[in-house]
Amino acid sequence: MSRTSIAERLGKVRYVNQARTDAKPHILVDTAICNSGCPHQCTTYVCPANCYVKDEAGKVHFQFEDCIECGTCLYACDQGAVTWNYPDPEEGRGVAWIFG
Amino acid sequence: MDDKFDCIIVGGGIAGLSAAMTLARRGLKFLLVERGEFSGAKNVSGGVLWGTRLNDLVPDYWEQDAAFERFVSHRRLTFLDGTSAFSLDFKSAHFNEKPYSGLIVLRSKFDAWLASKVEEAITESPHPDDSLIATNILVEDILLKDGKVTGIRAGGEEFHAHSVILAEGVNNLLTRKIGMQTAYVPGDHMATGVKEVIRFDRKVLEDRFQLSGDAGFTNEFIGFASGGVEGGGFLYTNQDSLSLGLVLNMKSMRENLGDSKKIYDVLSDFKSHPMLQDLLKGGEVVEYSAHVVSTGDMRVMPKRLAGDGVLIAGEAANLLLNSGKAIQGMDYAMESGILAAETVAEAKEAGDFSVKTLNEYRLKLDASYIMKDMRRFQGAVNFLHSKEMFTTVPDVVNDFGRRFFTVTNAPTDKTPTMLMNAVNAHSNLWTMLKLAVKGGRSL
Repeated sequence: MSRTSIAERLGKVRYVNQARTDAKPHILVDTAICNSGCPHQCTTYVCPANCYVKDEAGKVHFQFEDCIECGTCLYACDQGAVTWNYPDPEEGRGVAWIFG
Repeated sequence: MDDKFDCIIVGGGIAGLSAAMTLARRGLKFLLVERGEFSGAKNVSGGVLWGTRLNDLVPDYWEQDAAFERFVSHRRLTFLDGTSAFSLDFKSAHFNEKPYSGLIVLRSKFDAWLASKVEEAITESPHPDDSLIATNILVEDILLKDGKVTGIRAGGEEFHAHSVILAEGVNNLLTRKIGMQTAYVPGDHMATGVKEVIRFDRKVLEDRFQLSGDAGFTNEFIGFASGGVEGGGFLYTNQDSLSLGLVLNMKSMRENLGDSKKIYDVLSDFKSHPMLQDLLKGGEVVEYSAHVVSTGDMRVMPKRLAGDGVLIAGEAANLLLNSGKAIQGMDYAMESGILAAETVAEAKEAGDFSVKTLNEYRLKLDASYIMKDMRRFQGAVNFLHSKEMFTTVPDVVNDFGRRFFTVTNAPTDKTPTMLMNAVNAHSNLWTMLKLAVKGGRSL
């Protein structure tokens, strides 16, 4: 089996409100905290949906659209940068698993 | 006329639905609120539902279109190094007897089915028009009055009840909000599960894994699978797909992964092992998922599981045990949901929903196999966290396997010598003996 990329993997996820362009974020990340002395910036490698990425300058950026609501960042971030909530069923994003 | 609900259940997973079923049978009036489009829409598990309790909840479930994938009839535990696989394998006809002792499930299907059974129970209950399951609604807050839980706020509206069962899952935001769990739970004793569902032609799958009818196969992996991170892998056969994944400790991921090896790369590496390549050949990935999972370490559990007007069930209470033999979470959810609901029913009879009565839930849990096993196997949980268990031990085992199973045209060592050589190639006798003693005590 060839290696499956994260983009291919996320392409298999069924998201709710996928057509909405103005979906309400359910996770807020204060990246100023990530980018001012966090010793690990571990969300950029423990998030299974690659929602946290590091740019060439080593700065962390976050997007919630690909989030699969796993909760990893809620625990992995020990710096208080992550405010985590469940997505609003009407206005937010999030998953509707086909298999689960 | 009392128009309050006897109970509001937050979360329509296995814990919440098991509580609902019990309340319906006991004739109580309840509201279950599920944030997913349907029960199961937000749930991820490996996953095997262990034990036979489902047969108490839905008698003869196998005759009721139960949406399980396969029953467990063949189990394997595999130690992996980079190129080899050394397995303990157990298959037995006793597994084929009903009620089955393990069911492989896909939550999106299983929970939706269980919810349909609860709907049937509501129809047959004394409150067919007053009890209900409401989906696609997020519970935003818990209503408190003088320290007593009196209901919920959802969709901007307030709903009142004599009691609330929090069955919101491991990411227990409401449990934290009312102070029954610390606001921040560190990743030290928590893990993330990542998983793919890989589809096959059903006949190919059944031939490859020697499955007859609805019989199924489970395989757990330690060693190479987790790429140096504390944790392990799993493979379960569904009807026409495999659930393949990893459970990885979060603190260990923080320390051992990085820019060049991310969590999903560990899953790709696991799939690249020669044994896995043979098992997965021809399969198509049809879903990728992930979810936080407790490890069974009791240090993360909420200090109290009952308060005035409130009970916590399932993984919201971190009720889960990975003892090395099996990962038990869904059966704990079912059992604790039932016990919470029975406590609520008794509180209604007594006309007292204060912590004094509801704390009976904690006593029931303590007397159940859940807390007995969680306490008994804390050492095992700890043992499985030993670095050697996911690094040197699988290497030693496979090195020994190579020596033992390879036949050459040269003089052959006796088995104890092979074992000593394998130990010395990766570790030393003293470390392995200490580990064996620790393992012997804890398992």
